Amino acid sequence: MIDIPTITTERLTLRAPSASDFDAYAAFRGSDRAAILGGPYSREQAFDQLSAILGHWVLRGYGRWMIADKFTDVPLGIAGPFFPEGWPEPEIAWSVFENAEGKGIAYEAAMASRGYAYEVLGWDTAISLITSKNHRSIKLAERMGAKPDGLFDHPDYGNTHPQFGDLHVYRHPSPEEIS
Amino acid sequence: MAVERMDTERLILRKPIPEDWELFRAFTMSERSQYIRDEMPDLGKAWRMFATEFGHWEIRGWGMFTVTLKGDDTALGMVGPWYPEDWPETEIGWLMFEGGEGKGFAFEAAHATITHAWRDLGWTEMVSYIDPENVRSYRLAERLGATLDPNAERVDPEDLVYRHPKPEGLQ
Repeated sequence: MIDIPTITTERLTLRAPSASDFDAYAAFRGSDRAAILGGPYSREQAFDQLSAILGHWVLRGYGRWMIADKFTDVPLGIAGPFFPEGWPEPEIAWSVFENAEGKGIAYEAAMASRGYAYEVLGWDTAISLITSKNHRSIKLAERMGAKPDGLFDHPDYGNTHPQFGDLHVYRHPSPEEIS
Repeated sequence: MAVERMDTERLILRKPIPEDWELFRAFTMSERSQYIRDEMPDLGKAWRMFATEFGHWEIRGWGMFTVTLKGDDTALGMVGPWYPEDWPETEIGWLMFEGGEGKGFAFEAAHATITHAWRDLGWTEMVSYIDPENVRSYRLAERLGATLDPNAERVDPEDLVYRHPKPEGLQ
């Protein structure tokens, strides 16, 4: 088994996803909230996707955490460094479940994820890929100091991601710029 | 108890490793994978399917094995126990890459993983879900002694469900 580090913030724990998170994760992936992420998805697809989050850790040595309430451990979303094949470069990714919307939880988790990418993984830059329809995520990226930096671009696929369509690149401030 | 490596007469079955990606990708992004996916995956989707294999091992503690020849670690396919959440029953699955077909490797690997699942994982039921047009696959199920179960629950209503008999003498 792989060893996935745990991070704590003021209100949150970012920890390894587990089978006990599956119902909350599947509810999110099966809801309209997942429409901008290529969904909604069936529970069967959601299990494959939760497995793939763990597999990403095995394959890359880093990945996305389950965001959980620090005191109750209730799962609230997914966030972390993310770099699947077909991605132009590594990104900081986040999505929060319905019970976590509007409380700054995505911001807190995304900031901790970016900090981890810079301080522990040694990234010198980071992007987030966001569809133009995802206004809340765009606002969050801007709040983190990220700036638009063109469109998704990949040698095999050009500017249109085969699954997610038009994706905007938001470039985060570098480690030096935020220090 | 999970096992991460098994030897058969000609093969080594081992837990997947990141280096299996290139051959998994070639399989998944070709017509050979037509019976295990809805549409031809893009690179990212193929990689997430690969990651799913690793995540299954993380969540369950066991999963599909990469099939290799003794003395050559090249991946020939993936075979073994598979049980996503909400799967009606525990499954033995198989997918063989281009170089792994036609030599009885799938049979040899499937047979070993079937014994493993009954004996080491303590399964009480075992099926294989197979696309009705995947002739090679259901012939393999039949050679393994599995029989059609028309009444079994299935995720995809089009699938055939082959049920594997529990060998006598195994607890």
